[in-house]
Amino acid sequence: MIQRDPPRLARVLVERVLPEDARGRAIVGDLLEEFRRDDRPGRAARRYWFHALSMAIRYRTVPTPQPVREHSSMLESILYDVKHAARLYLKAPGFALAVVATLGLGIGASTAIFSMVHAILITPLPLPDPGRLVWINETGHNGSFISTAWPNYLDWRARQHSFESLALSREEPLTLTGLDRARRIRARRVTGNFFQTIGVAPAFGRALTDDEDKANAAPVVLVSDGFWKTTLGGDPSAVGRILQLDQTPYTIVGVLPAGFQYLRPYDVFVNIGPVAATPYLAMRGNHNGFYALGRLRPGSALEPADREIRAIAADLEREHPGTNASVSARAMLLQDRYVADIRPTLLALFGAVGFLLLIACVNVANLLISRGASRRHELAVRAALGGGRLRLVRQLLVESTVVSVAGGVLGAGIAALLLRALVAAAPDGTPRIADVALDRAALLFALGAAGVCGVVFGAFPALQVSGVDGQQALVRGRAASFSAGSHRLRRGLIVVESALALMLLAGAGLMIRTVQELINLDPGFRPDHIVTTRMTLAGPQWTDERQEAFRSDLVERLKALPGVRNAALTFALPIDGSQWNSIFIVEGKPVPERAQLPAAAFTPVSTGYFETVGMRLLEGRTFTSGDTAKSQTVVVINETLAKRLWPGEDPIGKHLKQGWPEDKTAWREVVGIVADVKFNGLTNDTPLQAYLPLTQEPMRTLAIAARTAVDPGSVAPAIESVVHQMDKDMPVYLTRTMDDVLAASIALQRTSRIVFVTFAVVALVLAAVGLYGVVAQGVTERTHEIGVRMALGAQQRSVVSMVIQQGLSMAIVGSVIGIAGAIALSRWIQGLLFNVKATDPTTLTVVAAVLLAAGGAACLVPAWSAARVDPIKALRTE
Amino acid sequence: MTSYLGEFEQLLLLAVLRLGADAYAPELARELEARAGRTVSRGHLYTTLDRLEDKGLVRWKLAPGGAVRDGLPRRHYTATAAGVAALRESRDVLRRMWRGLEGALGEP
Repeated sequence: MIQRDPPRLARVLVERVLPEDARGRAIVGDLLEEFRRDDRPGRAARRYWFHALSMAIRYRTVPTPQPVREHSSMLESILYDVKHAARLYLKAPGFALAVVATLGLGIGASTAIFSMVHAILITPLPLPDPGRLVWINETGHNGSFISTAWPNYLDWRARQHSFESLALSREEPLTLTGLDRARRIRARRVTGNFFQTIGVAPAFGRALTDDEDKANAAPVVLVSDGFWKTTLGGDPSAVGRILQLDQTPYTIVGVLPAGFQYLRPYDVFVNIGPVAATPYLAMRGNHNGFYALGRLRPGSALEPADREIRAIAADLEREHPGTNASVSARAMLLQDRYVADIRPTLLALFGAVGFLLLIACVNVANLLISRGASRRHELAVRAALGGGRLRLVRQLLVESTVVSVAGGVLGAGIAALLLRALVAAAPDGTPRIADVALDRAALLFALGAAGVCGVVFGAFPALQVSGVDGQQALVRGRAASFSAGSHRLRRGLIVVESALALMLLAGAGLMIRTVQELINLDPGFRPDHIVTTRMTLAGPQWTDERQEAFRSDLVERLKALPGVRNAALTFALPIDGSQWNSIFIVEGKPVPERAQLPAAAFTPVSTGYFETVGMRLLEGRTFTSGDTAKSQTVVVINETLAKRLWPGEDPIGKHLKQGWPEDKTAWREVVGIVADVKFNGLTNDTPLQAYLPLTQEPMRTLAIAARTAVDPGSVAPAIESVVHQMDKDMPVYLTRTMDDVLAASIALQRTSRIVFVTFAVVALVLAAVGLYGVVAQGVTERTHEIGVRMALGAQQRSVVSMVIQQGLSMAIVGSVIGIAGAIALSRWIQGLLFNVKATDPTTLTVVAAVLLAAGGAACLVPAWSAARVDPIKALRTE
Repeated sequence: MTSYLGEFEQLLLLAVLRLGADAYAPELARELEARAGRTVSRGHLYTTLDRLEDKGLVRWKLAPGGAVRDGLPRRHYTATAAGVAALRESRDVLRRMWRGLEGALGEP
């Protein structure tokens, strides 16, 4: 038989609880024998633990014949304290439930939000050495981010020294045909050094090469592991196969390793070569959606790299004043850039949840203090009978730790549920949302918070007790159990709690106002009953004539569908934003410096577009079937453009031209002015807009917009099948109703509102409960005094108002501090708001009123019981 | 007046009698599990044995332990005369209570 040893800790436990005599040694021997005779070590260890724990419990609770020993060990007496605490709480579960629920809510909410912050903002991107990956884009005038022009990138690459590798890439969805049904896949067009920059090599096959950036290089593609497994069926001879992407044959040269993901789950990565020859790429003034990605040299920092790129951009501006006027560049860590949009929201929520956790802790502190005070008498008796002071302090600490840990466990459960809800409610496209999980760091955070709560707030009553003048407490008895000091402390805590609750309420109020503003906002068109979808006419077979025939045929067929009242095509939908921004010049006006040339969002649309989406024509006409490729070139402008370029004039009949002054683009006659629509999301100002007839400016990427008489979602399948009847290889994607587009554009604000309001309501309830507790306790203690007052002729009404006044005074002081705090913190939340100032006086007034109303309500019950004090009884009890 | 025996005390005393010279705790636990289908925590077992000892129903003496126990001693239990008497009394009480209930239990 192998002489195994039982688990050390369990054996220590057994030896500690058993008497150190023959009896105890025999039991230790029995357990050892049973442990060693069990032929399954795992089961033996489990059983040993089970018996050890049963022994620990039994030998502490059942009186045994052994003599009481003078010196009990630390571990034993802490175990005893834990058991004692558990028994106390079971006897009066109300207190423990209140503490555990409060802490559970605070810790649960903060753990959930911390998990999101950790997964999205803190955890490094799952790429090799991500701290050296830098995202670089160009900036236009007023510093707005624009994409990087190909010639500028080539110059950066040649002149820079900060990066060991500098790549360029852009997101470019492609149409995959020839495998099954045509579909859109997620693709990224990248330079040959892209994977070298990231630091990832293909699982098999080869990476791209610099030669594959050259104009007319053969089209090649690297596929992701997921795409290889699902679409290509894990074909081991995939390398060398051809993929038809946008009707161009791309040769598969490699398969990327499993688990690799660059920001989003791309299906394929294709080389620059096939588009490198296109003239638009070679033009320095064209920013075609590309962004640079650099890997810093070891030891290089971001700051100098950013300075170097800006310096190169400044040189380029001097060398190419025609195209690079006021164009600069900006380098940021890839990770920071990727999560830049969500960061302010997450940080604001993190701050809010921190307040909530503080409120929960303050509430628990209050509960523990009041409990400690009400047990003053008991503790004083024990101290008088010789209970060690340290021993009493330790017992109180153990008691508060027991509830804190229980709160932590409950909090972890709440966090898991809340996190699932938050992930479900997160807006589409939230970066890294798939990585969000209740992680170990978050759990440690929860348990750490619970531990700190236990120790810090257990210490308050413990210290108070340790300072008790035992005799005084004994003499004064139960009625005078509260010291003035603990009263002040509790009132102070209520003030803090009210202040924190007010700040959370202010956040919630501001988010409610923001969402209200967004919902009430006039988008400039009628979004109801519109369904939209997108398609791409890809490949060389689509000549201009064929496109024109296809478009008019498509619109006619769509209009003929049952339930469809009107249909049109457009290059860019409202809210969804611009696909084509360009500078333009105006006839008959001095041409400004190149850096000052106006820019507009150019949007080719079919006839009937304005009517279909419900835009208002302010002046002139919209496009008609008379506007053809051969007729006078025309343009419809929006109100903003009209006011900016022709202030106080009538723009109808004037001319403008897209592009640089020297470009050979056509002059277009302004034939109409339409009202502004919200174009780049709901919150951004409407840009200058120029609408062109699709007949005169054909586009291959188009959106269908159909106005329906019925539920717009119900017509979507019919629209898709019309397109497929006309061309079975045409992928239709991103089918949404316009209402969905609107809702998605304010999803972040809506989610923030829900979270803020939830937190604020919990905070309000906690603060009200805390206030109620303090006021009620105050009334109980002052029963005698109130009795005397009433015996001396005080009216019930004056007693009620006295109690409410004293309670509300705490809430009022808290509100004032809270308003000051909310104003101080306003800049942290301003970025989340729309059309509302973070210091909005109306909102602050309303939330203060809400807080005071809740405070008043919390005081009513104790005030009522104070008013019903029977003076005779109150006086007799003393 | 005989001391009242709880059900577990009865089972434990009976096991002590059955095992005779082998009556030490691990064997007692095994006997209870095999014959009565009772899995018993050692905390419960030892505190019950201590209680029986207090009541004077069992006594024990030390025996040397083997290598498997790292030489730690064994306690061998024997039932005292009072223990046997208490068992007999408990059995008689139960018998009296059971008598005549065959009909109520639906047995012949």
